[in-house]
Amino acid sequence: MTVVLDKISKSFGAVKVLHDLSLDVQDGEFLVLLGASGSGKSTALRMIAGLETVTAGSISISGRDVTEELPKNRDVAMVFQSYALYPHKTVAENIGYPLKIRRMNRTDMEAQVRDVAAQVQLDALLDRYPRELSGGQRQRVALARAMVRRPAVFLMDEPLSNLDAKLRGHMRAELKHMQHELGITTIYVTHDQVEAMTLAHRVALLEGGKLQQLATPKVIYDDPENLFTAQFIGSPPMNVAHGTLDAGTFVVGEDRVATGGGASVKNAVIGLRAEDCRVVAPDQGAIRAKLFANELIGDHTLVTAKVGEDMLSIKAPKDFEAGFDEAIGIAFDPDRIYMFDKDTGARIRQG
Amino acid sequence: MTLMQRLFEPRSIRTMAPGTKVLVYSVLLFWTAFVLFPIYWVLITSFKTAVDVNGGPVYLPFIDFQPSLHAWKELFVFDYKDTLRAYMNSLIIALSSTAASVLIGSMAAYALARFEYRPKFGVVLMFVLMMIAVFVAVGKYGVDWRLSTAVGVAIFYFLARALGRHFSASLGNGDILFWMISQRILAPIVVVVPIYMMFQQVRLLDTHIAVILTYTVINLPIVIWLMYDFFRSIPYDLEESAQLDGATRLGVFFDIVLPLSRTGLAATTLLVMILSWNEYLLALFLSTSKAQTMPILVAAMNAGERGILWWSMSVVIIVMIIPVIVLAIILQRYISKGLLLGAVKG
Amino acid sequence: MIFIWPAVVMILIFSIFPLVASAIMALSRIRLRGGSYKVRFVWFQNFEKQLFGTEQFHFLGTFAGMSALGWIVALAITGGIVWWVLRYVRSSFTVLGFVGRLFTWGLCLGVGWLLAATFFSGHQFGTLGTTLFYVFVGCGVQFVIGLGLAFLCSMPIRGRSFFRVVFFIPLMITPIGVGYAFRMMADTTKGPFAPAWQWVGLGDFSWAADPWAARFFIMIGDSWQWIPFIFVVMLAALESVPRDYVEAAQVDGASSWEIFKDITWPQVVPVAATVLLIRVIEAFKIVDLPNIMTAGGPGIATESMTLHALFAWRSLDLGQSSAVAYLLLFVTVVSCVSFFNLVVLRRIRA
Repeated sequence: MTVVLDKISKSFGAVKVLHDLSLDVQDGEFLVLLGASGSGKSTALRMIAGLETVTAGSISISGRDVTEELPKNRDVAMVFQSYALYPHKTVAENIGYPLKIRRMNRTDMEAQVRDVAAQVQLDALLDRYPRELSGGQRQRVALARAMVRRPAVFLMDEPLSNLDAKLRGHMRAELKHMQHELGITTIYVTHDQVEAMTLAHRVALLEGGKLQQLATPKVIYDDPENLFTAQFIGSPPMNVAHGTLDAGTFVVGEDRVATGGGASVKNAVIGLRAEDCRVVAPDQGAIRAKLFANELIGDHTLVTAKVGEDMLSIKAPKDFEAGFDEAIGIAFDPDRIYMFDKDTGARIRQG
Repeated sequence: MTLMQRLFEPRSIRTMAPGTKVLVYSVLLFWTAFVLFPIYWVLITSFKTAVDVNGGPVYLPFIDFQPSLHAWKELFVFDYKDTLRAYMNSLIIALSSTAASVLIGSMAAYALARFEYRPKFGVVLMFVLMMIAVFVAVGKYGVDWRLSTAVGVAIFYFLARALGRHFSASLGNGDILFWMISQRILAPIVVVVPIYMMFQQVRLLDTHIAVILTYTVINLPIVIWLMYDFFRSIPYDLEESAQLDGATRLGVFFDIVLPLSRTGLAATTLLVMILSWNEYLLALFLSTSKAQTMPILVAAMNAGERGILWWSMSVVIIVMIIPVIVLAIILQRYISKGLLLGAVKG
Repeated sequence: MIFIWPAVVMILIFSIFPLVASAIMALSRIRLRGGSYKVRFVWFQNFEKQLFGTEQFHFLGTFAGMSALGWIVALAITGGIVWWVLRYVRSSFTVLGFVGRLFTWGLCLGVGWLLAATFFSGHQFGTLGTTLFYVFVGCGVQFVIGLGLAFLCSMPIRGRSFFRVVFFIPLMITPIGVGYAFRMMADTTKGPFAPAWQWVGLGDFSWAADPWAARFFIMIGDSWQWIPFIFVVMLAALESVPRDYVEAAQVDGASSWEIFKDITWPQVVPVAATVLLIRVIEAFKIVDLPNIMTAGGPGIATESMTLHALFAWRSLDLGQSSAVAYLLLFVTVVSCVSFFNLVVLRRIRA
C-alpha cells in the first residue's frame, strides 16, 4: 500500500518542527526516515500514525486521505521504541489485543496469534509476561503485535535502539528478511545510519525538520546532495577541509588541488571519504598534513591528520606506522572528491 | 455517521467529540461549584451581620446585603486574646511536631533503607513480657511507676545482653518497617487515655510539649512510609562518593540525602503539617486550656448560650485555613509527585 | 544506630506502651478516687457489657426479632461466606492462610448477621454499624467519584491546572470547618438552599433530626473533604501511565473506554488499592465530623465508635471507653489486614 505525504508541516506553538515534508512511499517499500534527535523524524512518523495532528498538508494511505482520521481508522500498525508491551498481559494477550479490539472470535484469534508467534519464534513463550522476557524477545512480541492484523503499513519508531549491539545486528537481518517475506510497506525511523543503509530501499534524511535527500542507500552514500548528507552518512564521516575554490582549483593552505571544473567560491569545502585517501610522503600527496594520531582498528589503521584547523581521517593499511606530529602527504583520486559551498551547504557539481 | 457517532466520536487524537466535551465540562464545572460553594458561603458569612444571617439566606455582598467587618473586628480587636493564644498554640505545636516527626521519621526511614537491622525475635518478646510485668507491678501491687520502669528497663537490658545472642530467629528491616507503618492503623482513641494518664503523672498535661510529642509519634508512620520509598529511589553512589571524601554518616545524611529528597520532604511536610494543624481528638484530651489549639477553640464556640454565632465562626475558620493554603501554594508542585511515589511502591 | 533509635523509642513510649496499658484498662474497672485511680481487674466484663449487656443497644444495636428480609439477608451472607470458605479450601490451602482468613470470615459473618438483625429488620443499629457505614459506603463513594474526576482531568481538556487546584482545596480545610460549613449548608431555614427546601415543601425538615439524613449528611461532608485525596493520587497515577501504552492501544484501534478498561486501569490498580486502604484506615478514626455536625445525634444515629469511646471517657468510665476503643481496633485491624492481604498484595504482585 502506498503512503503519500504532501507538504506536511507541524508546529508546536511557535516552534516549527517539520517543514513541508513530501514523501511518496511505494507499495511494499522499506523507507527509512534517518536523522539526529530533534530532526522531526519521529514527529513525521507519529503524524502518519495519527498520534500527532497535522498543522498543514495532507497524508494519504492507499490513496485515501487520512489527514483527519483517527489512528484506528488508518489501518497502520506501529512498533514503539519502548515496545509498549502491556505489562499486565501475557505475550499471547499482547499479540492478540488488536484482534480482541476488533471483536474477533476466540478460536480465530488464538489461531492467528499462534501463527504469528511461530513466524517470530515466540511459540514457546506465549504464556509469559513481558517482564519475564529478554530484550530481543520483547522486540519480537512488539513486532508480532504489529504483524498480527496485517496492516496496510508498518510504522517503526527506532525499534532496535534498546537492544545491545550484537543483538541489534541480528534483529536487523531478521527484520529485513521478514519485511521482504510479508511485503508490507514499512516506514522506519532511526538515528543510526548503519541501520538505515542496511535496511532501506530508500533513505529519507531529515535535518531541522527539512528533507535533505531522498534516495537509495547507494546514491545517498556516493552522491550526496549537500554537505550535511555527506557528513551524516558514512563511518567515519566524510572528511572536510575548508579553503577557497578559485576557478576550479581548491586552495587549502599552500596546497592547490585541481577539481576539474571552473567555479569560484570564496568559502568552499572539499569532501573526501576516508577510504579514498592514501597516506604518502609529504611531497608526493595533493595536500600536506601533520599526523595527529593513528589507531589500529583491526583490518586497517585509522590515521587522523591535521590540515590547518581541519581533522581528516584516512584508512591506511594495518601495518602503517608513523610518529606523532610527523609531516605526511595525503593523496586521492581526483574523481573521488566532492566540492561544497560552505555558506549554503550545497554541492558544487562540476564538469 | 449516526448521531451518536457524530456526538461522541472524536475528530482527532487531541480533541474531544462535542458530546463528550459537553458531558466532561458539565461534570467538572458542577464539581467546581460543589467544592467552592461551601467555602464561598463561609467567606461571605464572615462579613454578615446577625440580621443578615438570621433573616434567611442572602447571597451576594453589596447587592443582597451590606458586608460588615464587625465579626472580624470582634475577633481581632475586642476579643483577640483567646483566639490569638489558641492560634499561637496551634502554630507552635504544628510547626514543632512537624519538624520533629519529619526529622526523626526521615532518619529512621533512611536507616531502614540503607543499613541492615536484625533484631532477635526473642529479645522483642522479652521486651513485651517485661513491659507487662511492669504494668502488673504498678497496677496490681501499687509499686511506684518510676521505680518499676527503671527496674524493668535495667532487667531487660541485662537479660538482652546476656541471652540475646542465643536466640536464632531474627527479624529484618521489612518487619521493622511494617511494624512502624502499621502504627497508623491504631485509632488514636485506643492510646489516648493511657497517654493522658501518662502526662498527668509527669504533670505535663495541657502543655505544648505533651501535644507536640504525641503528634510527632502519631505522624511518624506517614513520614517513615513516604520517605523510605524516597530514599530507596536515590542512587547509592552519591553517598558512597561522599563517604570516600570523608563525610560521616550523619554528614552524608544532612548534606547529600536530605537535599536530594526535597520533593518527598515537601510533600511529607505539607501532609503532616495539615494533619497536625487540624487534629482534633488528641488535642481534646491533652490540651484543655493553656495549650488549647484552634480546632478545640472552634469546636468550643458551639457551646455558647446564644447559639452558634455563625459570623464569628466563619472568621475563625477562614483564619484557620489561611496558613495551610499558603503552605500548599509554596509546596504545591511537589505534592502529587511525592504522594504518588509513596502510594505506588507502598 | 543513632538514626533509628529516636523513632523506635518514641513509638514504644507513645504507641506500644499505651496500647498495652489500654488493653489492661479494657479488662479493668477503673474508679477515680481523690486524684488517683483505683484499678480492679474484671476480665472481659467490659466487653460483655458492650456485646451482650446493657450497652448492647449502643454498640451493636437493638435486637427485637428478625424480619423476613433480615432472614433472607442473613442466610444469603452465610451462604456466601460458606461458598468462599469452600472455594478457598479447595483451591489453595495453607494453615496460616486459613487461620488468617478465619478472622476475615468471622468478622464478615458477624457484621452480616448484625446488619440483617438491625438494619434489614427495621431496628436501629449501634455505633459499630454507623462506623462501618462511614467507612465502607463513604470510602466507596469517595473512591468512585475521586477516580472519576481524576479520569476526566486526565483527558485533554482546557483549564486542567485550574480544576486540579480547585479540586484539591477541600483537603486543606480543617475538618472542624467542614463540619460547620456543612451545617450551614444543610440549614433548611437560614442556609443557602432554604428557598429550595421551602419550595419543595420541606421548609421545617431538619437533617439533624432524621437518622438516615443525618448519616448521609455527615458522609457527604466527609466525602467533600476526602475525595480530593483520592483525586490527587489517582490523577498522578493516571498521568504516570506511560504514554506509549495508550498510543499503542490507540493505533491498535481501541476506543477511549477500552483503553481505560484494558490498559490504564490495570496499570493503576496497585495505586488504587493502596490509596483505598489508606483512606479506609483513616476513615475508621472518624470523630470530628459527627461530633461537630450532630454530636452523635439524633440519639446515637451518627455516633462513630471513636465518639462512643470519647463519650464513655467523658462519663469517666475508663474501662468501657477502652473496651470500645479495643473493639474498634479489632474491627479496623481485621478489615485492613484482610483488605491488604486479599486485595492490595495480590494487585501489587499481579
